[in-house]
Amino acid sequence: MTRVLEASGMSVAFAGIRALDNVSVSVAAAERVGLIGPNGAGKTTLFNCLLGILRPDAGRVLLNSVDVGGWPAHRRARAGMGRTFQRVELFADTTVREHLLIAERIRNGTGAFWKDLIGRGRPTPDEVAACDEVLELLGIAELAAKPVESLSLGQSRLVEVGRALMTGPQVLLLDEPSSGLDRDETRALATTLRSVQDTRGYAVLLVEHDVSLVADFTERTYVLDSGVLIAEGSTADVLADPAVRRAYLGSFEVT
Amino acid sequence: MILASGFFEDLFRGVLQGTPPGAVYALIALGFVLTYKTSGVFNLAFGAQAYISAAMYFKVHSVWGWPKWAALLVSVFVLAPLVGLVLERAIFRHLRTASAVSKLVVTIGLSVALPEIFNWAARFSAVAGRQITGIVPDGAGVYYDPFGIYRFNRDELAMMAVALAGTLLLAALFRFTMMGLSMRAVVESPRMTELSGVNANRVSAFAWALSSTFAGMAGVLIAPRFNSLSSGDYFTLVIIAVAAAATGLLISLPRALLGGLGLGWFIAVFNTFLPGLADDHTWLRPFQENLTPSLPFVVLFAILVLWRAVGRQREASDPLAGVDPPPPALAALERHPKLTMFTRLFGVFFVTVVGLVVWFRADVLWMSLVTKAVIIALIYLSVTVITGMGGQISLCQGTFAAIGGFTVFQMADRFNMSVLAAALIGAALAAVVGALLSLPVLRLGGVWLAIATLAFAFFFDAVMVKFSWVGGGSTALLTGTQVPRPLIGPIDFASDRAFLVLAVVALVVVSVVVIQLREGTIGRTLAALRGSEVAAASIGISAARARIVAFAVSAAIAGLGGALLAMHQQNVNYALNFAPIVALFWLVVVVALGSRTVEGAIQAGAAFALFEPLILQGELLGWIVRGEERLPEFFPLSGNWRLILFGLMAMQFARHPEGLVEHGKRRSATRINGWLEAREARA
Repeated sequence: MTRVLEASGMSVAFAGIRALDNVSVSVAAAERVGLIGPNGAGKTTLFNCLLGILRPDAGRVLLNSVDVGGWPAHRRARAGMGRTFQRVELFADTTVREHLLIAERIRNGTGAFWKDLIGRGRPTPDEVAACDEVLELLGIAELAAKPVESLSLGQSRLVEVGRALMTGPQVLLLDEPSSGLDRDETRALATTLRSVQDTRGYAVLLVEHDVSLVADFTERTYVLDSGVLIAEGSTADVLADPAVRRAYLGSFEVT
Repeated sequence: MILASGFFEDLFRGVLQGTPPGAVYALIALGFVLTYKTSGVFNLAFGAQAYISAAMYFKVHSVWGWPKWAALLVSVFVLAPLVGLVLERAIFRHLRTASAVSKLVVTIGLSVALPEIFNWAARFSAVAGRQITGIVPDGAGVYYDPFGIYRFNRDELAMMAVALAGTLLLAALFRFTMMGLSMRAVVESPRMTELSGVNANRVSAFAWALSSTFAGMAGVLIAPRFNSLSSGDYFTLVIIAVAAAATGLLISLPRALLGGLGLGWFIAVFNTFLPGLADDHTWLRPFQENLTPSLPFVVLFAILVLWRAVGRQREASDPLAGVDPPPPALAALERHPKLTMFTRLFGVFFVTVVGLVVWFRADVLWMSLVTKAVIIALIYLSVTVITGMGGQISLCQGTFAAIGGFTVFQMADRFNMSVLAAALIGAALAAVVGALLSLPVLRLGGVWLAIATLAFAFFFDAVMVKFSWVGGGSTALLTGTQVPRPLIGPIDFASDRAFLVLAVVALVVVSVVVIQLREGTIGRTLAALRGSEVAAASIGISAARARIVAFAVSAAIAGLGGALLAMHQQNVNYALNFAPIVALFWLVVVVALGSRTVEGAIQAGAAFALFEPLILQGELLGWIVRGEERLPEFFPLSGNWRLILFGLMAMQFARHPEGLVEHGKRRSATRINGWLEAREARA
């Protein structure tokens, strides 16, 4: 099985506190992998290290067997790492379609400055068609011309997914997509994510708090607790593991 | 001097000599830090507040003849806190959750408007040569010489004592009192503070009154050092104080004090030793002559660029900011096709009528004013690119324009080159300078980026302009920096009409380019970065690359405009056209009227060049009532009203970042849209 994303021996310390201690995770092509853990377990830290927003103190990140450890976030994105955000990050003042169009242009790499100067920088029909295809796939084609300020949270999440898809990701990193959504909305999101992933065939790493979404969506799961990997394996096995239930679900019941 | 005494004695004398000005810098830095700590406002209007108190002190003591203690009481302990309270109540209370950059723009507007409002209200005008006397009796005449190598006068001692006392007072306030704790809490989150039972409004009002008192005290103490009172000097002082305050990351009072003193010492020691060195090494001489006045700006720039902690400092974010409604979104407005057609027709009609009137009826003066408006509008398009599209405040657009102007002057003067070719070279040169400048400052972002560009503008102003290969040096003082009008084959642009056509063509070309860029890849990339930097990175956008391009394009446009302005006036006129203070006013005008659109820049250009003759001098009203003799008596109004009005308009930036004209346009468009749609629904 080819590994799309492989991180090994990741360690990070903040002011002496170990946020991550020798954590290794990997995602195979077209695989759906979950990453769960209680608050403060180091999920976000690991996520940021994978994406190049944070530099780990130790450890390697391989993307398609290429060491991307020294690359900035935007270069990793071009190499095939897509992502969404826990707190929705959209481009204010633009429409849904424009979000996808700019991502498409960056992926194509056809946005030379001189083309702008002679008026050849506007979106081409091909680019618009590619964006509309993704919007169709996500079931939000009717929102294409809407300004993003008018969208609901669930719709905004889908726009983020669409924007990430336009970069042609080999692995899509989803950061708590269910946060702020109710049970029905989460279920609808899971259905959409699954069907799109079936069509497009990229791998997914899902960082999630909501165990039901992880159980629904992923095949394999890692569990982090206090910066240490305490379990990994098929999602069903992991969620049944008593140690995991103590560390994670226990705290879940308390809060 | 350097030969007669030892190295250490010189060093010690330098330090002693640098202490009084250092105390001055420290005093302003303290007040500046106090404002920032207690309100989160990067208050560039601090100098204006200091100026008001100094001017009031002068008025009360020297003009009305009141005793010094009474003048001090009125200016520093009554007027200054009052100004602080009014500013807080009327403006900053409503901006607590606004972004740091929009607050900065508001204070820039205030720094332009406040001194003029005071001068108008108090009928005050500075008289050159009539210095302010210090607050202690016979301050400039009695000397003390504790170490036998440098003599302090009483004014200097007073400055040092007040700076020290001020630091101790503030430190005690923050450390030991409930009020100090509340003040710090209000900056972080006024909502949370209120939840814990503190009246955030009262705390914030107190903080503003206190910091304003500091500004007033500093203003009065410093005044004896100036020949005459000018708000420009006070503004420069604040920039110097920012360098001192930056060493404490704007939050540490002791470091601000040390930073101010250190800056004073550094400059004095530098002045002690550099002349001797320059005698031995002649290549140092131009630097010795030119660098000294700009030293604070060089230090400020160096601190910002080299000290990594400055760039990492994040804005305090209010965890309860979401309680307030978000700033209005500039949602893409879908216009009714009829409305679009109507506005286009009206635009064409308006431009045609104005064009015809100017072409056939305008005299030499009006032709020249309109040409200037066109060229200024072109320069303002550079603000549209960097601020409207790139979302960054650059305060050195005047410097980029000056580079264009000086290039034309040098090329024509030295090589007798065609001025149009030279203008293109000037634009390219400005682009290169802009790109190079953007490399170190881009890491900063936000307010610090604006301050770094301001430091660069002042550095260029103090040093570069004096070099013979830039501003013409001492010969330029005698002959001026003359620039010929262009000549293409049979067309001689020495004719004002021909030159107006040239300027309009240039404006149209640059407008089209800006629109293409905005609709093209770079414009949409910058829009993405403006919206969310992390999200932009997540789709592969390199923020650095896009912003370097934005800086370079913006600088090129400003450079081209500067070259055209120099040709138009047949002289670069640096101090009048491109000085840092002028460029500051440019920014205020553009953001007040609309930095997002090409029309906004054109309207701002027209407003900058034509508002004063057309409205303030009553030309337009005189034309309407047919005859200047029928104008009301208060015409012509003073040109300073321009500064007041636009300064006050900049305050709207926080609420309407798209600009006032654009805001009004959108509102009426929405209304008319609704009306048209309702009519169609009925039909």
